[in-house]
Amino acid sequence: MGTPKAALEWHGSTLLRRTVGILARVTDGPVVVVRAPGQDLPALPGYTEVVDDPREGLGPVQGLAAGLAALKDRAEVAFVSSTDMPFLHPAFVRRVLRAAQDGADVGLPVARGYPQPLAASYRTRLAPVAERLVAEERLRPAFLFEECVVDRLDEDALRADPVLAAFDPGIESVVNVNELADYQAARARPAPEVAIQRFGPLAGGHRGPQPARAATVAEAAAAAGLELDGHVVAALNGDQITRDGQTPLATGDTVFFLSADAGG
Amino acid sequence: MTAGGYFGQALVVNADAGTADVLPLPDELLRAYIGGAGLGTWLMHRLGPPGVDPLAPAAPLAFVFSPLVGTPLTTSAKFAVVAKSPLTGMLNDALSSSQFAIAGKLTGHDAIVVHGACERPSVLLVDRDGARVTGAADLSGLPAAQAETRLRERLGTGWRVAAIGPAGERGVRYATISHDGRHAGRGGLGAVMGAKRIKAIAVRAATKVAPAHPEAVLGAARDLRARSFGPATAKYRELGTLANLLAFNAINTLPTRNFQAATFPEAPRLAAEDLAEMRRVARNSCASCTIGCEHIYSARGGKKMRVEYENVFALGPMCGVSDPDAVLTASARCDELGLDTISAGGTIAWAMECAERGLIDAPWLRFGDADALLRALDEIGERRGLGELLAEGSRRAAERVGGGSAAFAPHVKGLEMPGYEPRTLQAMALGLAVNARGADHNRSGAYEADLSGDHDRLAGGDAHVAAAIETEDRAAVMDSLILCKFLRGVFTDPFAEWAALLAAVTGWDVDGAELRRTARRIVLAKRVFNIREGWRPEDDWLPERLLSEPVQLGSGRVATLTPQRLRGMIDSYYAARGLDGHGRPDPADLAGLLLDHVAAQ
Repeated sequence: MGTPKAALEWHGSTLLRRTVGILARVTDGPVVVVRAPGQDLPALPGYTEVVDDPREGLGPVQGLAAGLAALKDRAEVAFVSSTDMPFLHPAFVRRVLRAAQDGADVGLPVARGYPQPLAASYRTRLAPVAERLVAEERLRPAFLFEECVVDRLDEDALRADPVLAAFDPGIESVVNVNELADYQAARARPAPEVAIQRFGPLAGGHRGPQPARAATVAEAAAAAGLELDGHVVAALNGDQITRDGQTPLATGDTVFFLSADAGG
Repeated sequence: MTAGGYFGQALVVNADAGTADVLPLPDELLRAYIGGAGLGTWLMHRLGPPGVDPLAPAAPLAFVFSPLVGTPLTTSAKFAVVAKSPLTGMLNDALSSSQFAIAGKLTGHDAIVVHGACERPSVLLVDRDGARVTGAADLSGLPAAQAETRLRERLGTGWRVAAIGPAGERGVRYATISHDGRHAGRGGLGAVMGAKRIKAIAVRAATKVAPAHPEAVLGAARDLRARSFGPATAKYRELGTLANLLAFNAINTLPTRNFQAATFPEAPRLAAEDLAEMRRVARNSCASCTIGCEHIYSARGGKKMRVEYENVFALGPMCGVSDPDAVLTASARCDELGLDTISAGGTIAWAMECAERGLIDAPWLRFGDADALLRALDEIGERRGLGELLAEGSRRAAERVGGGSAAFAPHVKGLEMPGYEPRTLQAMALGLAVNARGADHNRSGAYEADLSGDHDRLAGGDAHVAAAIETEDRAAVMDSLILCKFLRGVFTDPFAEWAALLAAVTGWDVDGAELRRTARRIVLAKRVFNIREGWRPEDDWLPERLLSEPVQLGSGRVATLTPQRLRGMIDSYYAARGLDGHGRPDPADLAGLLLDHVAAQ
């Protein structure tokens, strides 16, 4: 494609930045990016941890081993994602993570015709298993699945989640961009449908939520006629507060804009 | 030679005898504590007998000015009222504004301190003839605003008056002191004044005071004035602090029904965005202020009142009341009685929950019942019926009622909690827990950090501790200079900029680093005063409800503030402040507080 997938432009940001941001929104724990030795990465938020994959070119199980090892003392379960899924939705991540809560070692979506090992949840205790498989040169995820309890989540199972069914009924979370044409087609799609709401002096006569198309908080701010600066902050779905315009949005999000000064 | 902006002395009035003495305030001391809340803290150390009952005649009550008062610097016409609080038993400073600050300082004193008690209801007068006490029988029972008006008519031009309402006269432990429609509201200092049988203090300017570098002050004033019209203060100019209400509701930080919820479904009925259109009748500002944050609303029947976020929160969502006319009327009733709206609302909300649980016999008192709210306020102001219990504040009332009601009494150190939900603002949770004044949003503005987006507001940790310390230090300096906190957003390098203002006024070669040390000194001096007065480590804590009942957010996340997390933040706070594991300072650090300074002169 001429540009590494991680660095592909995405609404003023990058595909990797989007993926990191979506996972940060859903999880409580750290977000780890596993990179090949020496690989340049686009700018990432300060909370991101970057670990080097010690061996290059050994495929997804090697990356899994490195990522799960980085997390194993701090989290029981991790969502593992490739960097090239521009429509990954928080509701999808939540649903897949829930599989582990139900007792499985792996929550494996089977969607759009294929198992999706790089859009799946894994118990971090699988790290040494993955490392052994790499040492044994058994490099396909299927070998890992043979050694643990896997909850295969077909599309019906995924859509049983009402939030996911509402915002990602086609399970487009797992759509990836392998070719330039894939990327161009994805980039040409309209931005997600979100709602924006302004409060206090920012409201300017607007009451209640209003629909907008925005892939990032900065795009939502622009749609609201605002600029994120020292005096304006955004709250995603009434939860996380941010001034980072590259914070990714997904269909169904509500972005509140409020005065940064909450003095009362 | 006294520094510019100061007189170098406090007037100490003995209300028993109607006499006064001058207490010299050396330059070194003024530089160490500046004025306002800082200097007031030192005065309480110096003049307050250890262990004194806050309502006893011997307890001092100080009106403390600052070096910036009387300059053209915007928002500088402010004063601090400082005393040991009858609500908390600890140090309390409450700020107010406008012409009383200017006239009071220009009596020729950096502070006016009153101790003793008058034999009968009285007015204390301070002007070029010194201090004297006159009778005030005709003012008894009047709302503060009426007493102020009547007294100014009687005294003639130039007099400025701070007065208490009926609640202060009756010793309600959260009674206010009012001036020109503004209130030194928190901590019950109106009850301290009432215990001295002083209905009002009237001051008249007698002299002038010049800054050290008048041209520099003028230049700084022009610059600050221009900045005060910018986006940092837009919220205050356009809608006032009530703009918080709908935004806080959206982000799950609007305490509702005595902290049983963090959102109020009927909040839009009380939103500034709508109320301003329908009911706002005027916008005012304090003396020397260019922001103009006072938004005056009219309730049904034509009654007009100033509306702030805190009074609407406390008398609205906190009590489950959504009728805007009822909330505005309740707010006006607090002003007439002279009640702190936050403590009144918090205590009534606690009582509503007690009544619904059958812990107190008050079947008329229910969440959401506006008539019950108004009845409760009247009973508190008159100390009759249930009001006799509720006039004591939620902590004392819960101790009497028992039945587990202390777990949901919404206070820290006895001071009722403001409208910032600690479970979803966890830097603020720490600030509320450790602050010397108790649960307070003006001495710890740690919510700024929570709403900055710099860290996760639901996951308190070391970053939150650092942020809470920074905002506490900033507040210590702003409350001592004194500058209005609504101006804080215009400063990009606050300590350095504040030092430049102070240098221009005083002539001192003060810099930002010195002001940071000053902030820490003031914060420590407050803590040391509280320790002297019986503070215990368990006083730095939050109500049990906030540590045992999570808040479910609409996003799906759950806000949980565990005792372990709060303990960890408090321990880190103590360490960063140089305190031991029990929150006590190293004795070697006390020398820098100059607590025996005057005695050693």
